Amino acid sequence: MIQNYKSLVFILLLPVYLNGQVKLSVNTIPKKVKVLLDGILMGESPIKNERISPGVHKFEINKKGYAPLVYDIIVNPSQAVHLDFFLNPIYQIKFKTEEVGLVFELNGTQQWDNKFIRLNIEAGDHLLRVFKLGEIVDEQTIHVDEPKKFNYYLKKSLSED
Amino acid sequence: MLKHTFSRLFIVGGVLSFALLISGCSMIRGPLYPDVIYNNRQPLISVTYEYGEIEVQLPLAYPGGVPDIISFQVYAQGDTLNPIISILQESPHVFVVYLPQGVLDIHSKSNLIKIIPQDTNFESVSVRFQGIRFGKIQLPPKVIRMKQLIVSGTVFLNKNGRNLVGVDVSLQNFDNEIKKIKTNEAGFYQLAIPGEYKYAKHVRLVAGNNLIFKPHKQKLDFSQSFKLIENVGVGPSGDLVDPLYLTNKDNVHFREKPDIGSKTIFLLEKGEAVSVKRVTPGEYNGSIEVELNNKKKVEIEGWVYRSDVFLLDLNNIFKKGGDNDTEL
Repeated sequence: MIQNYKSLVFILLLPVYLNGQVKLSVNTIPKKVKVLLDGILMGESPIKNERISPGVHKFEINKKGYAPLVYDIIVNPSQAVHLDFFLNPIYQIKFKTEEVGLVFELNGTQQWDNKFIRLNIEAGDHLLRVFKLGEIVDEQTIHVDEPKKFNYYLKKSLSED
Repeated sequence: MLKHTFSRLFIVGGVLSFALLISGCSMIRGPLYPDVIYNNRQPLISVTYEYGEIEVQLPLAYPGGVPDIISFQVYAQGDTLNPIISILQESPHVFVVYLPQGVLDIHSKSNLIKIIPQDTNFESVSVRFQGIRFGKIQLPPKVIRMKQLIVSGTVFLNKNGRNLVGVDVSLQNFDNEIKKIKTNEAGFYQLAIPGEYKYAKHVRLVAGNNLIFKPHKQKLDFSQSFKLIENVGVGPSGDLVDPLYLTNKDNVHFREKPDIGSKTIFLLEKGEAVSVKRVTPGEYNGSIEVELNNKKKVEIEGWVYRSDVFLLDLNNIFKKGGDNDTEL
């Protein structure tokens, strides 16, 4: 009896609830990515015919091989909102140098001194700094847009194999 | 024996080759940096909104005249200074406006349509309404009226200037009563009638129907103004000296002389005052006031039958059967 009553209330309030909502669809590239809305799993993309209330929300998207994406949005009162997320891929880069005594640093945080190393790097531009005996001896931007191998020669642009 | 030696060498060689292969591969591939290196590049995100539309329908009624042009101004969210849209159009029977989604307050009636006829004879009106997110709003019909015509003033007794309480005051078009009111405790009255009578030729103010005096009747002209102030004096003026008599019926002959067959100067209406100076067994000699075209009053002397008049008692000036007592 109580269950029926709750169902009836839910059915009666459903149009009121839906009336205040904005129709939501989410697409991602690549597809079949798990999408979290305000920490709650919505499902795998593409997501269609969902509802979202106007106001502040947070989308989180994680997929292996891609940079994690967090997006805060203020949803305007509207009929529908369509979101397209283009995930940024992570590529494996082989970095090689014949120079000796050099320390390499990427984006001011990641450092190594190996002459040959494999790096998992987010696609895009990265700032490479080269140190020798604690002093910067070179600085350049490297652009990553595919898996590739870099050969480093001091004070020369990186050459790609 | 030799076969056995070869077999052993082959196994040892194989193990060494495999070890060399493994270590060689590792040397060729190099070590893997433990962390993923991000550059915190802004992800490419596309956000597309679809906005709905709000259709507002407001039926309009014009019981009197119809203004040529009306300005409609729509305000939202309680902001009555900056309209979200202004439309000037010929007077429609249904005002229709389309608004983008999200502009209206959907929680309270703080949205407003101002209807401003571009004709000073008409009243401006406003319609408050509650918004919706999108869809259609059907508002109840709104009446566009001409401005009200207002006449106000006080009713006083001509004899002593005192304001009179409870005197009937009405506005009439021809003989049709449009509105009626009684004077308040200060002797004040105010009557408002629809603006459709602005150009009517026969609107008149009638005061004192419930008094024993001849009612005051005055033609009103609203063509120049929506508001008139008319202070009305009723009863005989102070110029007529006592004793005062009032005619008790219509068409009372006011004659030049007391003789039979004497010329009738005026036919007096019921409630007209006669200032009596001389008395004969059947008639009174006295004077009446006559208003000339220039509003000036003159006294004219004559005779009336005693049976056609009664002595005026200023303490009892309301007609019998009314709900008023004398208030002086």
